[in-house]
Amino acid sequence: MAILYKNLRASIVNSLPLIILYYLSISEIDTHFSNMFAILSFNLQIIIIYYWMLKNSSVLGNGHIFFAGVINDVVMGLPLGISSISYLTVSFVASYIRQVTVNMSLFTDWFTFLLAIFFSNLVYLVLILNFSDLQISYVDMSYNAFFTFLFYPFIWTIFNFYQKIMLLRVDD
Amino acid sequence: MSSSRDDFGIAIRSALLQKGARQKFSLVFLLIISIIIFLLDTYQFKFIKLTKILINDSIYRATNIATAPFKMLPKLNEKIKETVFAIEENKDLKAELKNFRNKEFQVEFLKNQNDSLRKILESDVKIRGKSILAKVLLDKDSPYLKSIVINRGSKSGINKGMPVVDGNYLIGKIVEVNYLSSRVLLLNDLNSRIPITFGKEPIQAILSGKGENKPVLEYLPELYEPYGNQTVFTSGKDGLLLPGIPVGKTEMDELNVKVKLFSDPNQLSFVTVQLINTNKDKF
Repeated sequence: MAILYKNLRASIVNSLPLIILYYLSISEIDTHFSNMFAILSFNLQIIIIYYWMLKNSSVLGNGHIFFAGVINDVVMGLPLGISSISYLTVSFVASYIRQVTVNMSLFTDWFTFLLAIFFSNLVYLVLILNFSDLQISYVDMSYNAFFTFLFYPFIWTIFNFYQKIMLLRVDD
Repeated sequence: MSSSRDDFGIAIRSALLQKGARQKFSLVFLLIISIIIFLLDTYQFKFIKLTKILINDSIYRATNIATAPFKMLPKLNEKIKETVFAIEENKDLKAELKNFRNKEFQVEFLKNQNDSLRKILESDVKIRGKSILAKVLLDKDSPYLKSIVINRGSKSGINKGMPVVDGNYLIGKIVEVNYLSSRVLLLNDLNSRIPITFGKEPIQAILSGKGENKPVLEYLPELYEPYGNQTVFTSGKDGLLLPGIPVGKTEMDELNVKVKLFSDPNQLSFVTVQLINTNKDKF
C-alpha cells in the first residue's frame, strides 16, 4: 500500500508539466492579459515544451505534444494540426540543442529559446498565410513572442525548482 | 568544415528520429502526421470534416468541464460577498428576532394579565355590589402571617373588613388600609375567622385559618356528622361579608373538617375588593 501510494505520488509529480500543458490547451484560459495590459501576452505552452524537452524529454513526450497541439487548434479554431506542427518545431529545436550542448545554463537555454520561438512562429506564420484565410496581427504576434522570450527565465527558475523536487522523489 | 556539417546532420537526424526511452513516436513521424492532418483540414476533405466534427464536440465538452472551475470564480466571489452579507444580515436578524421574542413574551404576559382582568371583570358582574380591581404588590409568604398587600387604599374607597375575592371566590378581607395600599388577611391565616354556611340544612360554622393552606371548620353543630366535598359559602352573619360568596369544598381529615379553597392563596396576582358599607365598630 505504501509503495502504491509512493508510486502514485511520484507519478502525479512527474506528470504535472504534462497536465499543465494539456490543461492550457483544453481550457479557455490563456496567457493573454489584454484586459490588464494591452500588449501583454505570452505563450506558456511553448515555454513548457521547450524547457521539458530540453531538460527531461520523458516528462512530456512528442505524442502528448502533438495531441496538445490538436486540442489547442480545436479550441482556438485554427486549422487542425497547425499548433501541433508549431509545438513539434519547438520540440525539435529543444532536442537539437540537447544533442549539441554539453553544459546548459539559464543563459544558454534562454538564448537558444529565441531560436525555438523564431522557428515556431515562422512555421505558424507560413502555414497561416499560405494555407488559410485567417488574418493575423503581426504586431500582436511580435509582442507575444517578445514576452514569451522575456518570461522564460522566470518560468525556468520555477521549473528548475520543480525539477529538483522531481529528482528528490525519484531518489526516495 | 566537413566535420562540422556532419555533426550538424547527425544532431538533426538524432533530434528528428530519436524516440527516447519512453517515447513511442519519433518527432519526424509526428510532424508528418501533423502536416497531413493540416493539409486534409485545409483542403476540406469529407473524411476529415466528419472526424473534426466528432473531435470538436468531444473537446468542446471537455473544455466546458475543464474551464468550469474558472468560470465559477467570479460567481464564487459573488457568493462569498453574498455569504458575508448574509452573515452580517443574519447577525442583525438574530438581534431583531431576540427583540421580537422579548416583545412576544411581553405580549404573552400582557395577554395573560388581560385574561385575568377579564375574568375578574366577568366575576364582578356576578358578584353584586360595587367593587374595585387591585393588583397584588406583595405576597411574601410568612410562617406567621398569611396576607397580601394590594395597590389600592383609602383613596380608592377601601375600608377595613371589606371582602376580597379572586374571581368569584373569597380569599380574605382587608385588615389594614393605607392611602394607596391595603393589606388583605387571607383565609388560611391563623387570625382569620369567617362565618360560613354549607350543606342543604344549611349548617353554620366558622372558617378558621391555621397557618396552613387549608383552613378548618369550627363551631360545627354537636351531633353533626361531617362529610366531604360540600361547597362552603360565606354566611354574612357578621354583617361584614356578603352572603353566598363561594369559599371552597370540605375535606375530611381525621376529626377535623378542612376546606380546600377554590382560589389558591399562593397564586394571586389580581384581586377584587368589594366596596360594601362596613361598620368599623362591627369590625
